Amino acid sequence: MDSSDTFTLLPLHLDPATKAISYQGTPTTALTTELTALNDLHRSLLTLDTPNGIPPPPVPVNPKRTAQINKLRESGNDALRKGKPADALGLYTLALKMAAQRPPWEPAGLVREELAQLYGNRAQAYMAGQGWAEGAVDAKCSVELKKVGNAKAWWRRGRCLVEMGRLEEAREWVGEGLEFEAGEQDLVGLLKEVEVLIEKRKTWSG
Amino acid sequence: MVDWVNLAIPFAYLGVVVGSLYTFSYLYRKRQAAHAASLAPWFDPHLQRNIYLSLLHLDPPEGTPKVPDGVLRAALLRRATEDIHRIVAVRNAKQALTTLLQRGSVGDELWQRFQRAEKEVEEEIRDVVNEANAFSPNWGQSIFQSANEMANNAIVRKRTEELQAQVPKEKEWWAKKLAGIQSDFMKELDEESGAKKATAAVPVSAVGSKGSDDDTVLVEAGGPTASQQGGGKKKKKGKH
Repeated sequence: MDSSDTFTLLPLHLDPATKAISYQGTPTTALTTELTALNDLHRSLLTLDTPNGIPPPPVPVNPKRTAQINKLRESGNDALRKGKPADALGLYTLALKMAAQRPPWEPAGLVREELAQLYGNRAQAYMAGQGWAEGAVDAKCSVELKKVGNAKAWWRRGRCLVEMGRLEEAREWVGEGLEFEAGEQDLVGLLKEVEVLIEKRKTWSG
Repeated sequence: MVDWVNLAIPFAYLGVVVGSLYTFSYLYRKRQAAHAASLAPWFDPHLQRNIYLSLLHLDPPEGTPKVPDGVLRAALLRRATEDIHRIVAVRNAKQALTTLLQRGSVGDELWQRFQRAEKEVEEEIRDVVNEANAFSPNWGQSIFQSANEMANNAIVRKRTEELQAQVPKEKEWWAKKLAGIQSDFMKELDEESGAKKATAAVPVSAVGSKGSDDDTVLVEAGGPTASQQGGGKKKKKGKH
C-alpha cells in the first residue's frame, strides 16, 4: 500500500461515448479484471434511481425482485408436483439467474438463502428427470451456501451419488451431513441404505 | 568572587554529555524510521485506490468531457470493497499475531510491519468516508455497509460459479459410465441368453461377480425402488 499522501498514477483512458475506462499500454491481469469489474459496477450503478446515484444501504431490500423470484419458484414447485420436471427445471433456472443478478450491494445473506433454496429445488427437478450428475452438483451448491438447516440438499446429493454408484462418496457425504443435521430421519435412513449396499457389494465382489 | 573558569568546567561537561546523548538518540531514531520504512509492506499495492485517484486526476484532452461522477462513484465503491478485504485481513491477523508475539515466535519486525498496515488501513477508511461524503451527504455512513455486502456477494458468486463449472465434467463422467454399464449389461444378457439362464435374479449375481461391474447391479437393481422412494420424498419435500 502506498503511504496516505501518494499514489501511483495509472495511464487510464475514458471512452467519451460509453464512459468505459480502459488502460493505455499493456495491463496486468489484475488490472484488466479490476477495470472490467469497475465498468460493470458503473453500469449497474446507472440503473439506480436514487438521488445522487449512490447505492442505497443494504437494508431495506427492494421487494420487487424477491417477489419475482418467489413467484418463479412457486410455479417451479407446481410444475414439479404436476410431474413436469423439464418445466420446473426451466423455471428454477430462470429464478436462479434472477437471484444471481441481484445488484451486488444488496444483502449477501439474502442472496445466499435464495440461491441455496433454488439450487436445492433444481437438484430435485434434475433428480425427477434422472439427471443425477447435475442434481449432485446443484445439491452440493445448495449445501455450500447453507450448511445448517438444509437437510434436504444433503439428502439429495447423497441420493444422487447412490444412484450413480458412488457409494463410498455417498457414505462420507451423508455422514458429514449428519454432523450438521444430527438425527435427521431421512439422512439416517439413507446412510443405512448406503451401508447395506456397500455391504452387498462386498459380498458380491468377495 | 566567582571563579568563572572553574565553573565553566562542569557546565562544559554537562553540555558534552547532553549533546552526545541527543545526537545518539537523534541518529538512532532516524535509523529506526528508515528501517521501518524499508520493511516490506503488509499488503500489495492498493490497485483500486490507484485507479480511483488516477481517475480523479485524469486530465481529459480539450473538447472531451470530464470523468463523470458515476464512474468515480463506482471506483470509490470498488476501493471500499477492497478496503473491506483489508480490514478483515488485519482483524484476522491481529489476534494470531499478538499471541505469537507474546510467545516470542515471531520477530519484532513483523509486528512493526503489521502496525504500519493497521494504521494505513485506518487512514484509508477515513479517506474513503470523506470522499463518499463529498459525493453525497451521509453516503459515508453506508458506503462500507454496501461494500461489505459487495465483498460477501462476490464470494458467494465465485463459489457457486466454481461449483457449477463442474457440471460438464460430472455429466461427461456419468454419460461414459452409463454407456459402459449398458454395454456390459447387454454383453451379460447375451451370454446368459446363450446359456438359457436368464432369470431375473441370476444376472444380478452374475454381473456382481466382476468387481468393476458392481455398479451395474446397483443402478439396475436400485433404480426402480430408488426412484419410487425418490418419488415419495418428492411429494413430501417439494413444498417450500
